[in-house]
Amino acid sequence: MTLSTIDLTLPYKTRVQDALSNKHLRVALERSTGRMAGQRAAAMAAIDEQTLRDQVRQMKEHVLRNLPDLLEQLERNVTANGGHVHWAKEGVDLQRILVDIARKANVQKVVKAKSMVTEEVHLNQALQNAGMTVVETDLGEYIIQLAGEPPSHIVAPVLHRRVEDISDIFQRELDMPPTLDPQVICSVARGILRKEFLSADMGVSGCNFAIAETGTCCIVTNEGNGRMSSTLPRVYVVVMGIEKLAPTIEDAFLQYQALCRSSTGQQCSVYLSMTSGPRQLGDTDGPEEFHLVLLDNGRVDMLAKGYGEALCCIRCGACLNVCPVYREIGGHAYGSTYSGPIGAVISPSIHLEVTDVNKLPYASTLCGACREACPVKIDLPRMLLELRRDVVEEHDAPLFDRAAMQGFSQMMQSRFRYETAGKLGSLGSNIFASMSGGNIKFMPGPLAAWTNSRDFPPLAKRSFRELWHERQRQRQSIGKEMKK
Amino acid sequence: MAARDEILTRIRTILSRPDLPFPPAEAPPLTAGERMTVTHAEGARQQLAKRFGEELTQLYGSFEILASAVEVRLALVNRLTDWAAEEEAARKGPKPETYGQDRMVLSWAPDKLPIAGLSEVLTDMQWKLVAPQQLTTPEALDGVRFIRFGVTGVEAAFAATGSMLVVSGAGQNRAASLLPFRHIALIPFSRLCPTIEAWLATQRATGNLADLLRGRAGWNLITGPSKSADIEMNLTLGVHGPKFVHAILFDDGKPETTETEEYRNWRIEKFEQSETEE
Ligand code: SF4
Repeated sequence: MTLSTIDLTLPYKTRVQDALSNKHLRVALERSTGRMAGQRAAAMAAIDEQTLRDQVRQMKEHVLRNLPDLLEQLERNVTANGGHVHWAKEGVDLQRILVDIARKANVQKVVKAKSMVTEEVHLNQALQNAGMTVVETDLGEYIIQLAGEPPSHIVAPVLHRRVEDISDIFQRELDMPPTLDPQVICSVARGILRKEFLSADMGVSGCNFAIAETGTCCIVTNEGNGRMSSTLPRVYVVVMGIEKLAPTIEDAFLQYQALCRSSTGQQCSVYLSMTSGPRQLGDTDGPEEFHLVLLDNGRVDMLAKGYGEALCCIRCGACLNVCPVYREIGGHAYGSTYSGPIGAVISPSIHLEVTDVNKLPYASTLCGACREACPVKIDLPRMLLELRRDVVEEHDAPLFDRAAMQGFSQMMQSRFRYETAGKLGSLGSNIFASMSGGNIKFMPGPLAAWTNSRDFPPLAKRSFRELWHERQRQRQSIGKEMKK
Repeated sequence: MAARDEILTRIRTILSRPDLPFPPAEAPPLTAGERMTVTHAEGARQQLAKRFGEELTQLYGSFEILASAVEVRLALVNRLTDWAAEEEAARKGPKPETYGQDRMVLSWAPDKLPIAGLSEVLTDMQWKLVAPQQLTTPEALDGVRFIRFGVTGVEAAFAATGSMLVVSGAGQNRAASLLPFRHIALIPFSRLCPTIEAWLATQRATGNLADLLRGRAGWNLITGPSKSADIEMNLTLGVHGPKFVHAILFDDGKPETTETEEYRNWRIEKFEQSETEE
């Protein structure tokens, strides 16, 4: 049974409609996104925000410019620390590598700390198919695993659920007595998951950043499940996208603090866990095997297609929380592992199965709030526009869009055509509007999608250009008057 | 290794394209001189200790500042006794099975703690300090899993954010700051630094930062008790890690240094080669 608020395989339009008509989802979104956005703003305002953003940006640009060398350095150091490094081109490669590691180590139970990369390649399914038990241990991830849903936010996976819904899930799946107290729900999960940690053979986590100069993999968590997963099981596997590097330790701590402030408004997360290989001689605890798996899965394509800037993303979630579209429709309507503005930009390149992925760049008002919030100053609106252009160029767009885009570009190339079109548009739309009393209530063809939900104002009777010229003329004549 | 070479070669080819819009051709690394300190703190040791405590308190942790190591032993025993009584009083329903672990304290090896004689004082007060040699088997873990108190030292502590750095190693298990319900960290003033950045700069200046980090397998920066905001952004404490974090800061009368004698010897032994090369 799947309880997902929205069926991810439905067409984009249906997904959005389902999201908009889901009252509980709207409540949940309202309760959380505003708060997260506010906390971020306050934490950033308390420090020299611009310098921090500029410096993280510079660091990430340096990483991408030197990516192959840094990856090789990381690999050398992880190996020297006693770890194993694997490379996966596609999601299926990663699945195969993980199943191999688990089989060789005779693993029955896997505990997972929250990781978007493993969501991206549907790792859980692969491990389960190979006969293993997989337990998500981040509280939010655990809840949605019980509910059979994918995460709806990069940082807060169960943001789409109200406390009432979560209580229902626990009552049904775990026989929990009814309660709406988050602390009680949390302690139920603590008890169950503690047993899982103590009996697991393998821990799997993502990687917020890896330090190239030392071969250290870092995870940022608040609950401690990341520490449990990297400490208690015999085998610890880190899965990371190839772009998630910091050249030096100091760079890593800079990015760490930018991430904490930007994602949850904290100065520091509760835990920053840094693992450089398996336990050493004399160590009391820690994993005896350490693996790092580096995943491409479309990231190099992103670079090749000119969207490399999106590889600077540190997955803080700030752009989701401020996006007016995300705040209305939530994460699932995007139909992808990655939602919000950054999800709309990277989902078409990352090798994911997303229904109507080419519609995602349109899930934005281009208001620019995401760019203002991004700790790495990623120009998300520009990339969304470029993706729309790509969609049109690839002839993937509906016939009407293509004709409109072609017409638009021809029109823009000549001033005469532009002005004539403006005049015609103004004339036509005003006639249309006057027929329906002020605003345009319906439009023909695909334009009806707009007028179905709201009116379209007629174009101004006179263009801005015309008004401007007239104003200038008036000014000049006033100036002449004054001189007299 | 086909995938590895394919990925690396492909990135190199793409990066050599002159028309590539991103990343810029000139992308210099950040230098130590320009890198900012994100959260600031300054002042004498007492002030730093106070700042550390304030930051930790804001995050639902607790602290006390003591004048000497002698006071720490007594304070710790008193705390443990108070907490145990508090929990007993707050308990509803029957006492859960603790397999005789309720008067135990999971700890680093006594010689790794910044104060001596703790084990003896605890024994006098019917507490037992447990510092396992090994915690890698289910049996060993069963022997400590119901212990409610964990005691550790720190590698360094940072006043600006109320954070402490703990590190794995012989006698320094990772479990004591992770599994118990309460974590008590003993922080001598000589390990207290104003900021993370200041500590990193000192370690880098002595030339051993990278070796230091990779010289131990597991490092953790801990800032407050375990928490989650996953349920509607409501704060819940003690999700997986300790629900209570208590710092005991004390004046150990030692000069301010983040590297102990013992640590330095260990480092030189371990990285002798790189030392002699310098
Ligand atoms: S694009 Fe920027 S704001 Fe959005 S998740 Fe990535 S780093 Fe955060």
